[in-house]
Parts: sequence; C-alpha cells; structure tokens
Amino acid sequence: MITDISLLDPNKTYTYADYLMWRFQERVELIKGKIYRMSPAPARRHQKISIKLSRILLNYFDNKKCEVYTAPFDVRLPLENNNNPYTVVQPDLCVICDLNKLDDQGCNGAPDFIIEISSPRTAQKDVHEKFEIYQEAGVREYWIVAPEDEMVDVFLLNEENKYIHSGKYANQDRLKVNIFNDLEIDLTKVFA
Amino acid sequence: METNISSLDINKTYNYAQYLTWRFQERIEIIKGRLFKMSPAPARKHQEASGDLFRQISSFLYKKPCSVFSAPFDVRFPKGNSDEETYTVVQPDICIICDKSKLDDRGCIGAPDFIIEILSPSTAEKDTKDKFQLYQEQGVKEYWMVYPGEHMVDVFKLDKRGKYQFDAKYVKSDKVRVGILPELEIILDDVFRDD
Repeated sequence: MITDISLLDPNKTYTYADYLMWRFQERVELIKGKIYRMSPAPARRHQKISIKLSRILLNYFDNKKCEVYTAPFDVRLPLENNNNPYTVVQPDLCVICDLNKLDDQGCNGAPDFIIEISSPRTAQKDVHEKFEIYQEAGVREYWIVAPEDEMVDVFLLNEENKYIHSGKYANQDRLKVNIFNDLEIDLTKVFA
Repeated sequence: METNISSLDINKTYNYAQYLTWRFQERIEIIKGRLFKMSPAPARKHQEASGDLFRQISSFLYKKPCSVFSAPFDVRFPKGNSDEETYTVVQPDICIICDKSKLDDRGCIGAPDFIIEILSPSTAEKDTKDKFQLYQEQGVKEYWMVYPGEHMVDVFKLDKRGKYQFDAKYVKSDKVRVGILPELEIILDDVFRDD
C-alpha cells in the first residue's frame, strides 16, 4: 500500500491492481501504465461548464437506458485479453449505454460518449494521449471543450475506427450529439 | 465621410469604397457586405500568441520571397475591378502572401496563401463560420485557428476539391510544420506562455 504519491515512479508502468492500492489524496490517471497527476482541482469555469453539460445530459437520459457519469469516475480501458488494465481515466463527462460495463468500481470498457473540458494543463493529455486511447477503445463520439475560447471540437469514430473531425462549434451554435437522436445542446447556455 | 461608427447601419450592405471614407477609431471588418466590429482590442494572451507567431514566421521569411503581415492589415476579396465592387475586407491576425502582385499600398488584394486567426469568445463565431467559409471559397491554402486559452492549434488545409480538411489539433509541446512552407516549423512552446 502506497500512502505518498512521491513514492510512485513516473517512469514505471503501473496497472489497475497497483492503482487500487494507492491511498493518497491526489487524483491520478493511468494511461497505458503511465501516471498522470490530476491536481490541483479544475478551475471554476471548468466546473461551471461541466455542471451545465451534465444537467443537459442527465435531463435527456432521464428514463432512458444510458447512464451519465461525471468525474471523478474511474473508466478502465483493458487491453484485449487482459483483465488487469493499464489505463484508468476519469473523463469529465461520459455516457455509457451498455450497462454490463458498469460495476461498483466504475466502468470497465469504453463509454459511448466522452466529453473532456480542456485547459492548458490538460491539453496535451486530452488532444494526444486520451484521443488515442479513446479511439483505440472505441469511444464512438469524443468532444474536446475549450472553456476559455468557448469552442467545442467534435470527433466521431468512422468505419475504420479512426476519429474524424466532424465539426467545430462556437459559443452561439446549437450542437447535435451525433450518436444520440434528438439531443441538441445550446452552447450559448453552456458558455453563458 | 462617417466620423461616428454608430451612424452605420448593421443591417445594410457596405463596400470597400465606403470603408475607405470611415474616420472613426474602431476597427471594422466587412464580410460579404456585412459589418463586423472588432473592438475592444484583443486580450493580452491573444497578442502574446500573435506576436510570437509573427516573430517565428518573419525570421524564417527574412530574405525569402513570401511576406508575412500581422493585424491590422487589410485583405480585400474583390468581386469586380473597383472598390465599390469589393464587399469583403478583413484583417486576419497573421497572413502570409507569396504572390507579390497581390500587394499594394493599401494591403493585399486576393487570397493570402496562409492565414492564422487567434480565437476569442467574441470572434469565435466569425472565425469558425464566416471566415472559415470565406477563406475556403477564396482559396486560402492553409488556415490555422489558435486557442490562446487552452494552448491548442487546429490546422485546416484545402483539399483538391477546394474544401478545408481538418489536418490535426496540436498542443504546446508540439512543433507544427507549415504546409505551404515545409521548411518552417513553428514551436508552439514559444507561442503559449505559462502564467
């Protein structure tokens, strides 16, 4: 059991089993075994946007079969034939429609839809590392939200399981979630 | 001659000949006849990003045939031969022009080869919709949108059919090769500052 984050080795490859043994305050993510620290807590604006988006999603999915979760919520992305995952992330928002993936620890496998609200501190992770692992894991739709510049970039998995950029939306646009029917988000409200 | 911006009618169509007679402080762009006010001045982060991009590009272009300009610099897209028939005049944050015959004393006439716009909440809609369409139609070969708040850059390149294709999203730790000038690599770590 590790109680001090400084005892972790940034060059080492860790697994979900290791992660479960950690007993320190700081939140971390594991991406392909590598540690990504999540402290300090996100900025107020980040949280404000996160709350607004969650309210819209929760309202839409009320009485529907998909479930919405907000961070902190562990999503494990196992490698094929390996039940000891090297990737444990906490997306800002995710929607899971295959309820078999849900267990007491969180979600085991790819959510259908993920939103990351980015910042200079997490840009590299959101645009490169998470982009790659979400694509690999089969997250069907991935949004990167820019809270300061008030923009949303939408990526959709194509038939070859590669993300294509399906659009860039600004603070006055209405944005339709591609993978769910009739879910339209008014960005003037999200960024207000 | 108009000396007060409030005497302009936001629902009217204007042209470059009229634009030349305006004598007020505020900067304005006209896209397809429609007015877009540019005040207030951009935020500090916007200017830091713009300044460093200009520095990297202009030092690369020193004694080379292409020229780089930063806003305010008028780029006109004429419909006919006269100023009256020019309904679009914009001030891109940064543009590169390789065809010297497009340059005159007043700015650039016709499409630059490369344009960068630094985004902000007040210009987001214009940069992603109006200017995106305009630059695509006019044949600006490469268009970058810079996110000063999140330290990201999105690159769009014209394909063979004359449509912009999303090339990639880049972050602060990346180096981005300019498509139209393959020897020029922009170091984004210098463009975005931690503070």
